[in-house]
Amino acid sequence: MVDPFCHDVMLRFSDGVEYRVAVPPGVTVLDAALVQDVPLLFQCRSGTCSSCLAHVQDGPAAMRAGQASVLLAPEAQAGARLLCCTEVTGACTFTLDYDSAASGAGPRKARAFVDRVERIAPDAVRLVLELAEGDWIDFRPGQFIQVKVPGTEIWRSYSVASTPADLPGVELLIRLLPGGAMSGWLTSEAAPDAVIEIEGPFGAFFLTEKIRAPHIMIAGGTGLAPMMAMIDTIRAQPGRKPPLLLSFGCASPEGLFYRDELDLRRHWMPGLDVRLSVDRGESAEGLRIGNPVDAIVHEDVADPDSIAYLCGPPGLISAARAHLVGLGLNPENIHAEQFVASQ
Amino acid sequence: MNEATPVRRAKGDRRLNTASDKRTNDARTQSQYQPYKDAAWGFVNHWYPALFSEELPEDHVEGIQICGKQIVLRRVDGKIFALKDQCLHRGVRLSAKPMCYNKETITCWYHGFTYGLNDGALKTIVGNPDDPLIGTTGITTYPVHEVNGMIFVFVRDDDYPDEDVPPLSHDLPVRFPENSERFPHPLWPTPPSLLDNNAVCLGMHRTGESNWRIACENGFDNAHILVHQDNTIVQAYNWVLPLGIRPVSDDCITLIEDEDGPKGLMQWLFTDRWEPILENKTLDVKVEGLNSRFYRTSVVLPGVLLVENWPEEHIVQYEWYVPITDDTYEYWEVLVKICPTEADRKAFKYRFDRVFKPLALEGFNNCDLYAREAMQEFYADGTGWEAEQLVATDVSPITWRKVASRHNRGIAKPGKGVEGATKTSSIRMRRIAEGRKPGYFVEKITD
Repeated sequence: MVDPFCHDVMLRFSDGVEYRVAVPPGVTVLDAALVQDVPLLFQCRSGTCSSCLAHVQDGPAAMRAGQASVLLAPEAQAGARLLCCTEVTGACTFTLDYDSAASGAGPRKARAFVDRVERIAPDAVRLVLELAEGDWIDFRPGQFIQVKVPGTEIWRSYSVASTPADLPGVELLIRLLPGGAMSGWLTSEAAPDAVIEIEGPFGAFFLTEKIRAPHIMIAGGTGLAPMMAMIDTIRAQPGRKPPLLLSFGCASPEGLFYRDELDLRRHWMPGLDVRLSVDRGESAEGLRIGNPVDAIVHEDVADPDSIAYLCGPPGLISAARAHLVGLGLNPENIHAEQFVASQ
Repeated sequence: MNEATPVRRAKGDRRLNTASDKRTNDARTQSQYQPYKDAAWGFVNHWYPALFSEELPEDHVEGIQICGKQIVLRRVDGKIFALKDQCLHRGVRLSAKPMCYNKETITCWYHGFTYGLNDGALKTIVGNPDDPLIGTTGITTYPVHEVNGMIFVFVRDDDYPDEDVPPLSHDLPVRFPENSERFPHPLWPTPPSLLDNNAVCLGMHRTGESNWRIACENGFDNAHILVHQDNTIVQAYNWVLPLGIRPVSDDCITLIEDEDGPKGLMQWLFTDRWEPILENKTLDVKVEGLNSRFYRTSVVLPGVLLVENWPEEHIVQYEWYVPITDDTYEYWEVLVKICPTEADRKAFKYRFDRVFKPLALEGFNNCDLYAREAMQEFYADGTGWEAEQLVATDVSPITWRKVASRHNRGIAKPGKGVEGATKTSSIRMRRIAEGRKPGYFVEKITD
């Protein structure tokens, strides 16, 4: 339903994406558009910073009466408007100099250099990348990116193991599959200074910040990657940190990786508890036989507000979800990212 | 030269000028204290001493810098307020030319941006009272705790929540007698704390030119006793110091990791866990008639030293090495004694002025100041932390680095837009040319 008192405003981004918003009289275009989730850039909201600069194509759009702004009169005559101080008295169309992903709302493409390819287990590789100059992607800890297998049109999805603070550095943990396209490239061709294409961020699996309740993380194999990003993000956060419990499992002791990295985090973070499991093999100090789901016991979810993050193959996710709900965890507090091995 | 002689590599397994694999701080140990190596600008979200009470009289405004954060303090009706000393408008330091229209606010002298002392909110702009920016933004405030003549400020990140601010006692050494059973001190009486009733804090603070970590480690490094052999106070009291003190037991240091309390370490000096070294046969040096003063050092985050039973019975020395930038720190030396009566206070003050300040805080500790400075160039570009070759007696700094890596509340980022962040800024160069060294206090506009 269109409010008869509102004016119809079209906002066109440089990539052609358009948004139609209803702007009530006396409300600035910026305020109205933000309420309606238009990905506009803005900062000061008082006519000074020029972040919200737009160009009016047609329609009656004037800078708010009596409002001082940094816009010069000739600029305004040429159609420039600061949306934070602009009101409309009829239907208008504005164009923007930036694309609809500029505010960080959507995924974008970037190129990256390979810094390091490191075999961390017989079937796992750590791939360290650096974004090329002028290219950038942003992400939240826990989200994944897509990587194009060089020389093909095949794209693969991997969670980022490093944190946004590490950008332009990006670290991925990749499971090697016999005959896999990416695996083939990683084991035969990948070398420092190779340039690859990536796109991101994707996914709604990411750390919900500033939650004080205990965090339970269950990861299988390279599902550890998003957990590393979340743990390192929490470590760098100011303020009291939530208790963290990470249960990480791999198939065999040989396949278990990142033990040193986890030991360090355990040393650096008094509130971090790490449990390591392998499906088979000899049990050893600090290593249990079994799956990482069963390593979580009733006492671990004593706080009813505990939240859980799960990442791994589908079987692990469903087992973990059932197990945690059985232990009394609120299903709404369970966040999961499941990965499916590519063929 | 005979052309037939083949070219060979020099003999020997290793060169003398590369790091020995026998050093205590191998790569694995170093990784355990990586957060400490990253803390060139200090640890934030901790309590630091800012000023002595007498340095901030009623209605006075002062500007300082800690961990690359500029802080302005103002005292109103006895109460002290601390705010970020950087106007959100154009970054000017409010303290450079204090302007206060009333008891509730402080105003930037340049464009009149006016902030509430209590909450840092932008309350008005002197010549622009209807601007929409007013009431929508503000500057960070810092919790303040004034006790027994000292003003402490909780130096925090802009987004550190109020409810997570710990009490001051969490960033001060353990107290006695409540810890006398855990850390017995049979050789000296119960050490006082600056938090005790009737505690009197007398001391001084000055700027040192080195990274704060170098200064801090010097404070409890037992192997540096050598540097103090010739000090006047040592000679005057006929103390005979050992050549060094060597750890001889795994429990020579106890970690302090109290749930609701300070985090750091205690050294079991003058017990059988540390052995005084009296002779070096290689050099044919021998110490006869050992006659040390009994003392004990502990250190807690964010870098607070406590020397018990020093320089006299019933007195303790506190030290802080407050990071200003990554290459300057404010060195605090404070002696604490319980003085229940005015006469006790007077006597302590007299002895402080006549004996402790010239012989201990200056005479004795001046050696430490130049020793830290002597290390600075090696560590200045950060590579010294990898290149240094530590030995068994460095168990103290290594343990400290690990415990600090584990329990710090945040690593300070290089100060943005603050003095000393750009080493070659024209203003800094001009001040140096004019003979004023970079320091702790704001440079006030005198016009």
